[in-house]
This record gives sequence, C-alpha cells and structure tokens, in this order.
Amino acid sequence: MNLTEYFTDYTLRTITLGTAVLGAICGMLGSFAVLRKQSLLGDAISHAALPGIAVAFLITGAKDSNILLLGALVSGLLGVFWIKGIVTKTHLKTDTALGLILSLFFGLGMLLLTYIQKQPNANQAGLDTYLFGQAATLVESDVILMSIVTGISLLILLLFWKEFKLLLFDKNYAITLGFNTKLIDGLISFFIVLAIVIGLQTVGVVLMSAMLLAPAAAARQWTNKLSTMVFIAAIFGAISGIVGTGISASQNNLSTGPVIVLVAAVFVAISFIFSPDRGILFKQLRLIRNRRDLELKKTLHFMYNIVKKHDDISRPHAILILNNFQGFTRSSLSQMEEKDWITVKGQSWSMTQQGFDIAAHLYDANMISHDTSH
Amino acid sequence: MTPAIEIQLIAVLTAAACAIPGVFLVLRKMALISDAISHSILPGIVIGFFITHDLASPWLILFAAFSGIITVILVEMVQKTGLVKEDTAIGLVFPVLFSIGVILIAQNANDVHLDIDAVLLGDLAFAPFDRWILNGTDMGPRGLYLISTILLITILLLFLFYKELKVSTFDVGLSSALGFSPVVLHYGLMSVSSVTTVAAFDAVGAILVVALMIAPAAAAYLLTSDLKKMIVLSILFGCGSAIGGYWLARVLDASISGSITTVLGTLFLLVYLFAPAKGLIAVSIRQNRQQIEVSLLTFLLHLNNHDSLEERRVGHLQEHINWGKVRSRSVLNLALKNNMITIDEKVVSLTRKGKEFTEKALDYIISNRNEKIEDIKDDFFLFRG
Repeated sequence: MNLTEYFTDYTLRTITLGTAVLGAICGMLGSFAVLRKQSLLGDAISHAALPGIAVAFLITGAKDSNILLLGALVSGLLGVFWIKGIVTKTHLKTDTALGLILSLFFGLGMLLLTYIQKQPNANQAGLDTYLFGQAATLVESDVILMSIVTGISLLILLLFWKEFKLLLFDKNYAITLGFNTKLIDGLISFFIVLAIVIGLQTVGVVLMSAMLLAPAAAARQWTNKLSTMVFIAAIFGAISGIVGTGISASQNNLSTGPVIVLVAAVFVAISFIFSPDRGILFKQLRLIRNRRDLELKKTLHFMYNIVKKHDDISRPHAILILNNFQGFTRSSLSQMEEKDWITVKGQSWSMTQQGFDIAAHLYDANMISHDTSH
Repeated sequence: MTPAIEIQLIAVLTAAACAIPGVFLVLRKMALISDAISHSILPGIVIGFFITHDLASPWLILFAAFSGIITVILVEMVQKTGLVKEDTAIGLVFPVLFSIGVILIAQNANDVHLDIDAVLLGDLAFAPFDRWILNGTDMGPRGLYLISTILLITILLLFLFYKELKVSTFDVGLSSALGFSPVVLHYGLMSVSSVTTVAAFDAVGAILVVALMIAPAAAAYLLTSDLKKMIVLSILFGCGSAIGGYWLARVLDASISGSITTVLGTLFLLVYLFAPAKGLIAVSIRQNRQQIEVSLLTFLLHLNNHDSLEERRVGHLQEHINWGKVRSRSVLNLALKNNMITIDEKVVSLTRKGKEFTEKALDYIISNRNEKIEDIKDDFFLFRG
C-alpha cells in the first residue's frame, strides 16, 4: 500500500480518524485519572463494561452498537460505584476493590456471552470483538459518535476547569470553598467511563487501560502545568492512534489495538528518558555534573588549606603535592583554571584571589566574618 | 473418574491453590499484581511455544512463570524512576507485554494452534481431553497433576514460611529486624503467585485466576482478622464457588470459568452486605448509631448552656439545634431512656446523671485527653444499656 492509497481509502480514513479521536479523548481524560492516582480504574471499568454489553444484547436482541455501548456505560458506572463503596465502607484497599470488580464483572460478562452464544438463532456474531477490539469494524457513524462525545467532554472540561483542577490538587480546600466535590468527582468518573466505553470497540477491554494511561504518563514528564499536560496527552494519544493504525494497515495480521498500545508505549519510553526536567537521561547527566563540581570544590578546599598558611596566596605550589589527594586530575586542574580559581605554570599551580575568595566563602566561616568586618 | 468429577476436581484444586497466595496479595495491597501477571505471561507462553512447538510442554509453564517475574521486576523498575506512581507503573507494563503477546500470535496465526480467546478466557470443559498417557495407560487429565503439584508446593511453602510471611506482611520493619529478607519473601511470594497463575491460567483463563485469587481473600478479610482463619475461609470460599459455578454452568450451558466467577461475585456481594462486623449494613447501622450518640451529646451540652424555660421547650429544641424532626425525637427518647433528662410540661431539664455526663464530656472536649473518654465509656453507656 502506498501513501496516496492511504489517504484515499475510505475505510482506512475512517479508522484512522476514529483511532485519532479516541486517542485524543483518552489522553485528555486519562490525565485526570493518572493525577488522581486512579490509573488502574480504567482497567477495572473496561472489564466491568462487558456484562453491560451482554445484558443490553439480551434485552434488545439487536446488535446496535449505540445500545450496546449504553449497556456498557451503565455497567461501567455500576462498577465504579461499587469500587467506591468497597473502599469507603470496608477496610479493603483500592487495589483489592479494583481487582475484585474487574474480575467479577468480567466473569459475569463471559458467562452471559457464552450463554448468548448457545442461544439458537441469536444474531450474536461479533459481540466478542469487544474483548480484543477490532478497529476495522469502525464505521462513519461510530466516528461521529466519538467526536460528539469528545466535544461534549471538552466543553465540560473547559466549563468546570477550575473545579476539576482544585479537586485534583487540593480536595480539602475545594470542600472548604463550598464546592460540591461529590458532583465534580462523579463528573470526572463519568467522563472517564464514557471514554473507556467508546474505546472498547476499537482497542478492546484488555488494552483500554493503556490507552488511558500511556499518553497521560508520557505528557506528565514534559510539563508541570495541568492545561499543558492535558493538551500534550491529547496530542500523544491522537498520534498513537494515527501511527498505530498506519503500521497495522501496512502489514497483514497486525491487530490495530495492540499496535496503538505499543506506539503509545514508545512515547512513554521516550518521555521517560529524554524529557528535559524529569527524564532519566538529563537527571543522570545533572547528577554527574554535580558530582564533578563537588570533586572540583573538594580539590579547591584542599588547595585552600595549603594556601591559607601562607601570606601570599598566589605563591606557586608543586602539582606533586596534590598527589596524595584523590580528587585531582589533569582535566580537573584545567577546569579549575578555566574557572579562574587557579593558574597553572609548568609543574606548579598557584591560587588566584577569586579562587581564594570562593574557597573562603565555602569552607571558612571565620574568614567571611573577618572579611565583612573591614 | 467421569469428566464431570475431573473438571470439578481441577476447579477445586485450582481455587485452593489460588486462594493461598491471594490472601497475602490482598493483605500486602498487591492484589493488582495478579491481574498484571495473568496478562503479561502471554508473551512467555507464546515464545515458549515457538521454541518447543508443543502446547503441552512443561517448558511453557517455566517460560510463562519467568515472564511473570519479569513483569514484577519491570513494574518495580518503572516505579523506581520516580516518574510515575506504582499503579501507573503496573498499568503501563502489562498492556505492553500483553500487546507483544497478541501481535506475536497474530503474526504467526496460520501455523499456530494458539487462540488468544482460549488463553485469556480458558475453558475448563476441555481439561479432561488433555490426558496423561504413561506407557499406554491413561493416568487421568494432565491439568489435574499439574495443579495438584503446585497446590502441594504452595501448602508446603506456606507451612515452612508461615511465620516469616505473617511478620513481613504486617510489619516490614520488624521482619527485617528479625533477619527475614523482605526482598526474598517478596520475590518468593511473587514466584508462587506467578507459577500458580500460569497453571491456573491453563485451565481457567487469565481473568478467572484474578477472581480466584482476590475474591475469596477479600470476602474472608471482611469476616475475620485472624490470618489462619482468613486462609482457611478463603480456601473454603474458593472451593465452594468452584463446585457451585460448575453446576451453574451446567444449568445455563455457559462458560465454566465465567460462572465460577459469577458465583464468587455473588458470594462476595453477600459478605459485603451482611458481614456481621464489617459488612455494609453493619457499618451503616454503626455509623448511624454513632451519629445519634454525637447528637445526644450536642443536645445535652445545649441544655447545659441554656437555663431559660423558653430555650428548653421541646417544641423549640428542634429549631434551636437545627435538627430534623425524626432525629430530634430519637435523640430525646434516647436521653429519656438513659435517665439523662426529664420532661415536665414539655420543658426539658437535665437530671443529675445528665449533668454529670455533660460535665465529664465537657472535660474531655476541653482537655482532649483519651483517658477522660475512657471514663465516660465506663460510667455511661447509651445504646449498650
């Protein structure tokens, strides 16, 4: 497949658009999940949505994706409320509650799905695409639905921006200001559930949580500002969707959902390593630089102790006397020379006034008081 | 043995084997690790299959268990960067490993009899078909041997390291002071969980493994605080649900794993609602009672502060203390029953006992010292009397 085909192929364009919108909304709402330390809520909800799909099918007998998603939404919300109930009313912890709801709801969903499959004449084929997702089943109306949901959640997000932000970072303050925190909390949970539910068809139950988490975790590394983070996460999500779809379309037997997840994971890996402030690489570099700086200062301290005993601070000393001190190397000496702490002539060094002052300031409290007195 | 009995036996043994590590996972707040492991052993199984070309090879279990351990290590590595919290680390690692597994299967789908659905969902109904034939004699289903071996090892390890596990679960500091390495115990527990997950996964699928590990332990934790009782209860819950689930599946003609999970879910729901001390209903009743006790105290303090007849009229109290009618009635009745107030011509006054109580309470509120409230508890009991 060549590039022009890619842009003219109707199905592919629909799918790409769908995964891009999905990635964007997941990134946007996932930021809140990650910051609220509810990363695995998405995993639990996506599993908890399964019985809803099955029940909706059992009741209506039709395979209308909107009705199925409505069922998923209801059972996803039920799952969230039960998780909250378990955490607040019992001494079971969040992880247990999440794992419980995840596995129990999913098991019930499986029971219902297999029950449906055994029913005679049921129009049930394709229900299990919700398990692993099948981006290929996306049609234009699905993409329109996704875009509408994205639009609405964006609007709500902007309307309640201040409240969301306050709840995220200082819940108690939000309560004292008289905000209805339960309502705001419910609103966030509702939209997270909504995002998960509309993603089920594309990436499936098992991988949905990664769609929610990965773009947000990657975006977190680049900024400390909520609005920027939400924006970057949406972009990362959309790009993961587009690139993932592109890669999986270019080869046979490459399911879209897992590829999108892997692309998003690449974003995470790059962000973890290369982000300027928090990234592992620059953090390590800063660590090395600080350590070197410390070594230099240690050498300076040693020199200062020698120089202090003499009247003339710039009197040359042989480099050899530094030998019994570990911190010194040729390059560290030249670095010190660059900093104008010392001057090196042949086989001897002498301290400059600047080097002396710095050392005195760093290591000798008496010297400073002596300096300020005159 | 008939297939029905064989299936039930495998289900019961799997439930027991999962329940034991499950208890420790729940107590150590690591329940979701079981979810992560159950998904991320997929690439291990796939790679193991590519190497051995035999789905029944014991090497597959080793590969899978190994990738379970790798999951745990990866999660810890991501967490140690300090860039994300632990739950995010779990949520990032396992979908990636799972995706790799799915892609590996899909890429080689044509010549591999490895179906993702089957791996993830499992099917106990097929377990009796995979038999162990020794020198031409049928020794029974292979899954049965596998899971009994793992159950035996788990029980053995539990007896050997019970004390260490107990101490390190409840007091990490003490356990390292006593010389048990928390790291060794952690990885030991993770290895057992990982191996159990793999074995159980073969029979019942990834999701049911999570349910079998967490649900019985969670239900048991709501019923007891004693570790030994919790382990026994978990095993009982697991085994009971396994048998109940099997028969439910027979009736509905549906997935056995799904119905075992559903029975577990119903069981947990019942315990969640009706557990005598920690159930939802018991907790609500207790909270309600405490609220009335606090209201009573406020009410008595109010009476103590106001002498005028006007302030103490029954009808006025409601608007003065700003309570709903129902609540003020129940508080009034409680106070009357405990002889703390008398009502004369609709005017409320404190009795001596009431005055004494209020003063002690005031004393506690002012000093905020714990021993004062112990005095109050000893001298006056409200609902208990």
